[in-house]
Amino acid sequence: MKTKESEWKKKVPKVRIVKGLDKFKDPPHFQEKLDKANEFLRRAGVPKIPDES
Amino acid sequence: MRLPKYRLEAEGSLLVFGFISQGPKGRIAKKIKFAETRIKGVYNLSFGDLDPETREIDDRVVSNNGDSEMVLTTVIAAVYAFADRYPEAAVFAKGSTNARTRLYRMGITKYMTEIKKDFFVFGGRNEKWGAFEEGIEYDAFLVKRKKLNLEI
Repeated sequence: MKTKESEWKKKVPKVRIVKGLDKFKDPPHFQEKLDKANEFLRRAGVPKIPDES
Repeated sequence: MRLPKYRLEAEGSLLVFGFISQGPKGRIAKKIKFAETRIKGVYNLSFGDLDPETREIDDRVVSNNGDSEMVLTTVIAAVYAFADRYPEAAVFAKGSTNARTRLYRMGITKYMTEIKKDFFVFGGRNEKWGAFEEGIEYDAFLVKRKKLNLEI
C-alpha cells in the first residue's frame, strides 16, 4: 500500500541549509567509497525495482 | 520516523549533510554524503567523522560516543530528506568495514517495519541482489523510495 503524501511529509526532517558544507560536495571526500560502490554495482548491477503503476 | 535524532544541516542541494554527535567523548562533527555513482540515479551513501585537525572525513573511525542509536536514526532521517528532494533516486550503502556493514544491516533490520512502508529495500550478496531479509549477511544495501499516494 502506498504511503500518503501527508504521512511522508511528516517523516521528512527539517534541515537547516548552511553554506559551509558545500566544500564536501566534490571529491576527494569519500572517493574511495564511491569507487567501491561503482565496483560493486559494475559486478552486481542494480536490483529490479517492482513496477508501481 | 519520530525517533530522537540530531538536528541536520545540509548544503543547498541536499547531497551533503552534517550533524553534531554529543556524548561522553564530547561533540563530534559527522558528515553524510550522497554521491552519484556511474549508474545514473543511483547514489552512494558515505558517512564519517570530520577530523578536527586535518578537516578530512574519516569513515573508519569508531567514535564510541555512546549515541550510536541516535546517530543511526539521524542517518536514516538524512535518507528521508534526500529521497524527498530526489524521489527517483536509489541509495546504495556499503560499510567501510565488515563491522560497519553489519551495523547498517542491524539498523535496517531494527527499523524495517517503518522503512519498508516508504522504501523498497534490497540486500546485495555474492554479486546478486534480493529483497532484504533479516538474518542474512549482506555486502551492500540499496533502497529506493516508493511512490506516494497523492492526496488531492
